[in-house]
Amino acid sequence: MSKKLRYAFFPGCTLESAAGELKIATELTCEKLGIKLDEIEGWTCCGAAQIQDIDDFLGVAINARNIALAEAAGHDKILTVCNTCTLMLRTAKKRLDEDEKLRAKVNEALAESGLEYKGTCEITHYLWALVEDVGLEALKAQVKTPLSDLSVANFYGCHILMPPDVMGFENPRNPHSMELVAEALGARNVDFEQRLACCGFHAIYPAEREAMLSNGVSCLTARDAGADCLVTPCPLCHMALDMWQADAQKHYDADITMPVLHLPQLVGLALGFAPKEMAVNRHLVKPTRMLEKKLARA
Amino acid sequence: MESVIFNIKRFDGERTWNQEYRLPRETNTLLGCLVRIREEQDPTLNFTSACRHAICGSCAVQVNGNAYLACETQLDALLETFETTTLYLEPLNNLPVVRDLVVDFDGLGEKVKKVSGWLEERADRCDHMQSQEEFHLISKPADCVLCGSCVSECRELAYDDGTYLPPAVMNKAYRFERDSRDGSRGARVLAALQNNLWKCIHCQQCTTKCPKHIPIAEEISYLRREALRMGEKDSSGARHAYSFYDDVKKTGLLNETMLALRTEGMVKTAANRTPFAIRMVAAGKMNPLHMPKPVAGIESVRKLYEFSRRNDKEARHV
Repeated sequence: MSKKLRYAFFPGCTLESAAGELKIATELTCEKLGIKLDEIEGWTCCGAAQIQDIDDFLGVAINARNIALAEAAGHDKILTVCNTCTLMLRTAKKRLDEDEKLRAKVNEALAESGLEYKGTCEITHYLWALVEDVGLEALKAQVKTPLSDLSVANFYGCHILMPPDVMGFENPRNPHSMELVAEALGARNVDFEQRLACCGFHAIYPAEREAMLSNGVSCLTARDAGADCLVTPCPLCHMALDMWQADAQKHYDADITMPVLHLPQLVGLALGFAPKEMAVNRHLVKPTRMLEKKLARA
Repeated sequence: MESVIFNIKRFDGERTWNQEYRLPRETNTLLGCLVRIREEQDPTLNFTSACRHAICGSCAVQVNGNAYLACETQLDALLETFETTTLYLEPLNNLPVVRDLVVDFDGLGEKVKKVSGWLEERADRCDHMQSQEEFHLISKPADCVLCGSCVSECRELAYDDGTYLPPAVMNKAYRFERDSRDGSRGARVLAALQNNLWKCIHCQQCTTKCPKHIPIAEEISYLRREALRMGEKDSSGARHAYSFYDDVKKTGLLNETMLALRTEGMVKTAANRTPFAIRMVAAGKMNPLHMPKPVAGIESVRKLYEFSRRNDKEARHV
């Protein structure tokens, strides 16, 4: 990391409400790592894999606006902390960059508000930024409390990997980024069957039973593999796995209890923050005591 | 010479076991390896194949939990992807297993019938000519070889009760729905809707694992838009999508507090979500009094809505 990293920060809706702890963890860890985050003024919801089911053009246009706001503020890279926000922004960018007609139409719409999508801003995710921009060695060098007593089960979530022609950071059939970051933080990675499973969030109302069954398996297989917690780079996966865990439990006789951490919280713990500073007590499945015990032994 | 281990899940109609075979590492396709194992080591190993050119769609299997069309997959590419010399082969997921790597496609065929996965000729056409643009709407979805890779990968199907339509069937519905020569417009959208169209999780597995690179998840989005245009608005899936759509127009941000209520209605929410809501408020995850304020520049967002409404040209026909 030669020069100070600076990103246009796109928090996404969940960070303003149910996943408020993720905003805390993201901002504190970025500050500690010397990363400057400038929140995009006037950003809106990315559409959350929902709006395109009503209006395809609008799904692209609202994200063209989000990107245009970052470009206008002089940024060349947007940082997100949500898999789906990343996918929605990158999908819009790919379509706008590859389809001149669509880009002209979207810019005609944006021009009514004095905005223009130029295509000069890249979109990255906190996980990718750690690997690609900060670098694993530099991250490792900043670790104050190696998480050597903590076994983590990495739950990637679908939208950080797929579709690969939009996301393209690593092979969705055999990704490594989460394990590499956890390793740099000193944690032990456990392999488990549901590492690349879906959390079901985007159809959690119409297909609740299916999501609960799948998430129950995710918790159980992580437990069986000896994990202390699941870790995810996506607040939507976190919601499905943590907030709904009590509902998933109803489908299983065996105890499925499994704390779920946001990736930036895991990073924060290794950088020397206390569990409560990472606001882990806001989770429904409380990891606080487990973490305090594990960190005390580190 | 380096050898490759093929750990294959076997099934003889009653018993399931894993059997290991070894082949020297060589330039070959996955299908080539399976043929070699059957010819040289075990004539009882069952798998299906025919064309060897990724056209017939009969040789898809799972390798290390991922669906591949065996005839077009190079052994070296698999070893590179999984960074191993041991490959675990299984039959496709979400389809009944007949023997070893052979699955039964009959049920899939029945589901294709549900969406009339064939051309219903328009009565008013005197020929079958299509413009280039009309053809481009169906050229990609028409590439489907019904190999079952997307069926195997679909995360919704894995836990479904058997009613949801597999991605390959959604693709058939889309392909004929968009065909300018077809006369039964809308019927397939209704069929998809009656078979839990809103249960698609948008996980992108179908799009990612399709050997023909068909963007099936985008097609499912199109079927949903078409269903909404036809007046569908009362299901929880439609109301859920409209919650996002309306909130972004109003403030730019999702109002999570109201999401369940607007998706499921007052009665169901009160009956089913009260313990959930109490948990959320108690943990500080939800503040029932929090109402998002409009973001800076909300007028520019609303202008996009207005512009899109004025320019809604997503044509059924070009």
